[in-house]
Order: sequence, then structure tokens, then C-alpha cells
Amino acid sequence: MKETRKDFPILNRKINGNDLVYLDNAATSQKPKQVIDTISEYYENHNANVHRGLHTLSEEATQMYEDARKKVAHFIGAAHPEEIIFTKGTTESLNRVAIGWGLANLKTDDVVLISDFEHHSNMVPWFEETKMVGAKVEYLVSNENGEITLEEVKSKLTDKVKLISITQASNVLGTIVPVKEICKLAHEKGILVCVDGAQAVPHMKVNVQSLDCDFYAFSGHKMLGPTGIGVLWVRREILEKFEPYEFGGGMIDEVTYEGATYTQAPVKFEAGTPNVADAVGLGAAVDYLENIGMDKIREHEIKLNEYFLEKLKQFEQIRIIGPKESEKRAGLVSFFIKNIHAHDIASVLNGYGIAVRSGHHCVMPYHVKNNFSATTRVSYYLYNTEEELDKLIEGLKKALTLLG
Amino acid sequence: MQDLYQEELMDMFKNPHNRGAMDDPSISISKKNPMCGDELTLQLDIKDGVIKNAKFDGIACSVTVISSSILTDYLMGKSIEEVKKLTKEDLLKLINLNLTTSRVACATLVLFALQEAIKNYEKGN
Repeated sequence: MKETRKDFPILNRKINGNDLVYLDNAATSQKPKQVIDTISEYYENHNANVHRGLHTLSEEATQMYEDARKKVAHFIGAAHPEEIIFTKGTTESLNRVAIGWGLANLKTDDVVLISDFEHHSNMVPWFEETKMVGAKVEYLVSNENGEITLEEVKSKLTDKVKLISITQASNVLGTIVPVKEICKLAHEKGILVCVDGAQAVPHMKVNVQSLDCDFYAFSGHKMLGPTGIGVLWVRREILEKFEPYEFGGGMIDEVTYEGATYTQAPVKFEAGTPNVADAVGLGAAVDYLENIGMDKIREHEIKLNEYFLEKLKQFEQIRIIGPKESEKRAGLVSFFIKNIHAHDIASVLNGYGIAVRSGHHCVMPYHVKNNFSATTRVSYYLYNTEEELDKLIEGLKKALTLLG
Repeated sequence: MQDLYQEELMDMFKNPHNRGAMDDPSISISKKNPMCGDELTLQLDIKDGVIKNAKFDGIACSVTVISSSILTDYLMGKSIEEVKKLTKEDLLKLINLNLTTSRVACATLVLFALQEAIKNYEKGN
């Protein structure tokens, strides 16, 4: 994996006189030259509006945009490219499920089931949507190891539950959720499942058909792609019950002074000029990841988990949250230290060029429930190395001496 | 401007002034920092429009603690009218720390608590 480092220009940066050690990949990943160059090349040679013009550039831009859709479809094992709706990111994708599907399909007293460690973006849209229709949100409660057991799922699947919306990999605990098994249990009762794949798609092989879920959301910027582009995959049969969330140009079939009819998915769900350049950039990120192999990336991150969890054992004061087993985690570890604030740790580490995240990571209720104010999160990707984790450990020692 | 994480500042962080709670405050307010979920409680004892005592408490980072320690010291004996005029810039000058943009929010948490406390106090009177 070390050979991939040369592809990431930003890894040459010095921060406060030190080599950058970037360990905040769960927030956003860095971008390889291949992605940066693809975006420049698009703007330099092909830029035009899509699905509109008859001229050469418009044809090329449309082709490139639709090729990106096909690449993404193939990457997540979607049966049809038209099931891929481009959005600006996971948050928009999940809002679209809540509003586009939820408003049309949920009624008074229906229940949307989510886990107690969901990211705010898979929580707040459901608060708002259920308020509008008189439905409610209920929780799958995680156990001490930060896992959702299938027994817990079974016990919550009442007749009122119409949808489970759950993350495949937690951005704070690292927990990998058994989504496939949850889908099986849910479908036996006619319940649909929406998956937040923001922390899963960049780091492991995902196949929406094998998971057998109904909606799948993720972001481009966490998987080496640009910001401002994301994906919502919706199973084709469900797309028919899905309402557009924005209206305007591009998505219409016919408009008269009396009203409008809409065209087919996915264009129906992409009103206005789409983010063509970044979709094309995301396509380049998919190429890059496929070239390396998702299984290899996952293997690398499990090794880093093992290495880092072992090294952390030397600090008595540090409490790690989430699963103890490396293979049950995505490539991230969050921890807290009694009486030392995560912001202070992150600031001291920054002095050594080390970038980590501190805070509640947009999972505020889980932090409050467990009585930890803020945690420090270390999250890696394919380009991170054991040597970088050694630097982090040294930085932590210094932070503890100073703040302890 | 002083850089954070120097020993003297860390001393203030570990042994801040006015940390704790008072028995019968004129007004008590709790405020959360949405960035990290930290909650700070500020209590004021006010007599004849003058702040006689100020205390703060809560689990917070060094910037919030140092800023609260300095501001509560400053508040003692000041009139409400005087304190009402205190701006974010005044506070940052008062604490004289070299802060990055994201840490400014840690420093100003106690100021926003103060502003809300005074507003609530005046409403109550």
C-alpha cells in the first residue's frame, strides 16, 4: 500500500514543520493525482451542460457523466445504472429517502427504526419527516461492545415498523453492522432497509444486491473523490414509489402552462444542472480503488487496527470505544481520556503535523448517553502506515505529559 | 499573544480561578458548545446592578477553562451595564491567546453564557 503514497500530492505537505500525518479520513479522504487530473481534464477539454445540447462538447460531457454513473453502479453491484441518483453527498441522499420516499409512504403511528449511534444525518431527517406525517423514530440499542445484535433487531421489529435506516459502519465506534442479516429479518416482515454507507463504501467491498437492501447512500469525498458529489442507490421497484424532491429543468417530460409531467429515473431525480465534473471525478476515484482492490484496502486497515489497538494498550488512561476486535471495526479508533479534553489532544497533535478529529463526530446523543463529552478519533486509509501511527503514539505521550 | 500549551497556561487550566458552584446565585445558565458537546455552567451573584461573584463549572477543554477563569475574574465588581458591552473581540483581547479559528468557539462559550445570563436576569427583574 505504501506505493500509493506517491499518488497523493498533499502527503508532501509540511504542517508546523513536520510531515503531514493525515488520520482524519473518516471526515474526508485525500485525493490522488488521477482524480485531480481527471477533473482538470474535464474542464479543459469537455465542459458543457449535459442532456441538453446537440453539440460535440455536450455529447462528450453527457457521455462522461453517464459513464461515471455506470462505473459507480458496477462498483456497488447495482443491477441497473438508472438506480444511481447523483446527489451532493450522503446527507442529501438520506434526506431524499426521508422526504422523497418517507412522505409518500409513511403514515401516522408508523415507526422508523434507527440505531442509537447513527450520524446526525441519518437521525435528524427522520425526526423532521416523522413529525410531518405523525410517525415516530425508535432505536436499536447497541451493547457494551458497540454492536447491534440480531436479537435486539428481532425484538424491535413490531408491525408498526416500516423502515430500518442504519449505518453499515459507524463513524464513531467503527462498528461494522450486520446489514445483510438485518435486511433478511426486515424483509421477512415486509420492512424496507435504508443503509448509510458513508464509512463502508470507501473501505470495503459493498454489493447492494448481495446485501439485499432497498436504499443505499454514500459520499464521493470519503472515497478519494471530490466533495459535492454523492450517491443514492434505490432499488428499481422502489423508484416507482419515490417522489422527486427538487423540481425544475432537466427532470421534466412535458411542461404546459397548466402543469408538468416528469421523465424517468434517474434524471427525474436530478433537477437542474448536475455536478458533472465531480461525478466524472468520482468515476476516476472508483477506477483508482478498483485498480487496487477493495479487499486489499480492507485487509490493510484491519492490520492498522491491530497495530494501533495493541500500541494503545500502553496508556492506562485511554478508554477505547467500540468493538475490541480489529476485524469487527472499520479503519478507525475513537477514544477518550478522563479529565483531558479531546480538543486539547487534537491541538497538541496538530503541533506535530498530525491530523485527527476531536468532538462528538456528529453523533451527539450517543456521547451524552455514555457520559463522554468529546472523543478523539483516528481514522486511516490505504496510504497510512505503521510508521505514521508510531508518530501519533509519540504525540499522544507528549500530550499526556503536558495536559495530564 | 501567547501560544496555548505552555506550562503557565496549563497551570491555569489545571487550577483555574472561580471554578465551582455557589449556593444562591442570582442567575445560573448552562450553555453547550455544539462542536464538541461541552457544557459550561456560569453563575452570577448580582447586587444593585453589580456582579459580586462569578463562578463557572463543567467538563471543558483548556481554552474554555482558561477563558472562563480569566473572564470570571474580570467580572468581579463590574456593573451589568459595563459587562453588557463586552464583545467577542474584547474577550479575545482579554485572554490574549493565539487561537485557531475553530478554537475561538471554545473561548467564546463563556461569553455567550454571560450574555444570555444577563438577558435572563433582566427579564426576571
